[in-house]
Amino acid sequence: MLDRKLLLISGKGGVGSSAVTASLALAAARSGRSVLAMGMLDALGLADHLGVDDLDYEARQVAPGVFTLAVDRARALDEYLRVQLRLPRPTPTRQLARALNVLVDTAPGVREIISIGKPVYEVWSGRYDLVLVDAPPLGQLFSYLRAPATIADLVPAGSIREQAGRMEELLADPAASGLLLVTTPEELPVVETESALAQLTREPVIDLVAVVANRILPELAVSAALVAGLPPGPHRRAAELHQALWSSQRRWLDALPPGPRLPYLFGSHSPEEVATLLAAAWEQP
Amino acid sequence: MTPRNPAHAVLVAGAGGVGKTTVSAALAVAAARAGRRTLVVTVDPALRLADALGLTELGNQPTRVPGQPHLWGAMLDVTASWEAIVRRHAAVDVADRLEENPFFRAIADRFPAAQAYAAGEQMAEFIESGAWDLLVVDTPPAVGGIEFFLAPRRMRDLIGSRLLRWLTGAHIPGRRTVYRVTARPVLRLADTVLGGPLLEEIAEFLLDLRTLYDGLSHRARSIERHFRMATTVVVTTAQPTPLRETRRLFSELPPLAGRPDLVVFNRTLPDEWSARSRLRSPGLEEAARAALRHNLERWAAESGRQRDARHDLAARLGVPMASIPWLQEAPTSLAGLVGLLEAAAGLHLDLLGVTGDSPAA
Repeated sequence: MLDRKLLLISGKGGVGSSAVTASLALAAARSGRSVLAMGMLDALGLADHLGVDDLDYEARQVAPGVFTLAVDRARALDEYLRVQLRLPRPTPTRQLARALNVLVDTAPGVREIISIGKPVYEVWSGRYDLVLVDAPPLGQLFSYLRAPATIADLVPAGSIREQAGRMEELLADPAASGLLLVTTPEELPVVETESALAQLTREPVIDLVAVVANRILPELAVSAALVAGLPPGPHRRAAELHQALWSSQRRWLDALPPGPRLPYLFGSHSPEEVATLLAAAWEQP
Repeated sequence: MTPRNPAHAVLVAGAGGVGKTTVSAALAVAAARAGRRTLVVTVDPALRLADALGLTELGNQPTRVPGQPHLWGAMLDVTASWEAIVRRHAAVDVADRLEENPFFRAIADRFPAAQAYAAGEQMAEFIESGAWDLLVVDTPPAVGGIEFFLAPRRMRDLIGSRLLRWLTGAHIPGRRTVYRVTARPVLRLADTVLGGPLLEEIAEFLLDLRTLYDGLSHRARSIERHFRMATTVVVTTAQPTPLRETRRLFSELPPLAGRPDLVVFNRTLPDEWSARSRLRSPGLEEAARAALRHNLERWAAESGRQRDARHDLAARLGVPMASIPWLQEAPTSLAGLVGLLEAAAGLHLDLLGVTGDSPAA
């Protein structure tokens, strides 16, 4: 999985996809890779898990082999115009950017292609072995993944269209790119994951690497009958709660394809500790 | 026609997955039992609210809950939201033209503020109808946090923005003028970059959209007024994402809807759980004993984390806090909702601006 160039990590909001992104960055760096972890819509979660206050548009190193940045749309648009479209220097880019900003907010796919374009450029730049993206949540993911095709439909010709075509190819190439869907074994996250899987079948815009189930409770090595026979008290109530939650998790896990399972982390941990503990879970066989 | 008093609104906000729908339903049941004519509205994809209320389906129109004389339920319909907004605020020919425009579809699919705004318009209609004393709003899940409250302003900004005026030129709202983008060299350059007369098409579209401005901004302001008058309840759990959303609501809600009035901590564990509790069960095998001890240790650590999160929020925010115990399954019946209320601590109706001593007329 870590041998691809580009991995997008998404899931329903709140299931822990920023923590999973950060943990993968740490695990990949420990295996000797140079990794860029990017925040897309809301970079604060990723920043927390990497132990920094905020992310900047310029990449910075936060651990050996781990670099991180946040996609800032205004900066990305500027970079897109200057670097990718090779707009000549004397162009009044500020005024042009102002006009294009209206376009960005209105035309289908433009906002998304500028955001999804950034990780693609980073892959093309060849500076990193692996680019990890803390992608928008499931509800918005497909409008980003679809953006290159949308643009290609909308723009008849020219360099934007060419760029869009190359992006579409990179995203759809299973040797280069992949998508990790993070979920927790609960009703709404699983239902949303199932509909995302169906959508991926209809629109194979990117290869699914795996569905990662997060916050999995360990099985309690005591039978329900034994628990029912315990005297009332905290031990019994904690065991009953655990078993009820565990079997509810089982039911929802059965609805998911097999894939990596990450443990429920009991007690207080800082976001950084969460990333470190999950990174250790990735490294277990 | 006798004038009717608007309903008081209770807005239930918080991150997705914290149990907003369940809490909304429980609050509505409690208010209805206290004699208030109560409508609970939701955008719940799982239809759990309908199940719990004993309704076979939840539609756009309020439906009375069987066996509950003062309780109604309704589903906010946000799927056709842009179409509805346009039909309401634009002339028929403009609305037709807008709906055929490819950019309209793109905005409709993607501008999340529109869904939240449409929910706000429906909320305002229910409040103003005078048919209820109390409206409990389960805020839309995709935008359950601050987005719901920001939506009216975002809509006003989108349609009335200076940038848009700059692009479309001086323009009298309601009168559509033909505008040539190519008159501006900068825009002509933009079109060269884009490879087609895209901006001109967009400008035409935006001109049509701007004709909505008067009606929409008037309505948006009345929704914003309803927000400021409402009671807001924030539901959270001790997980990091909901806690972050709760802090964000507290820092950003005051200018929009006032400070939240109540925080409900859902899925709380018993406070007194401690790993030091003794297990009085002689004859238990050592392996089982160790497993049970280890299990309690974990959950006691979890209970400690919740306690820390509650204390941290209480110290930071200084508002009343209620808590609902961690149930093994979410309630799926009216009786379950009542049970949830009985098990809750600190969930008093008077905190919501609702008193029980004023029954429906």
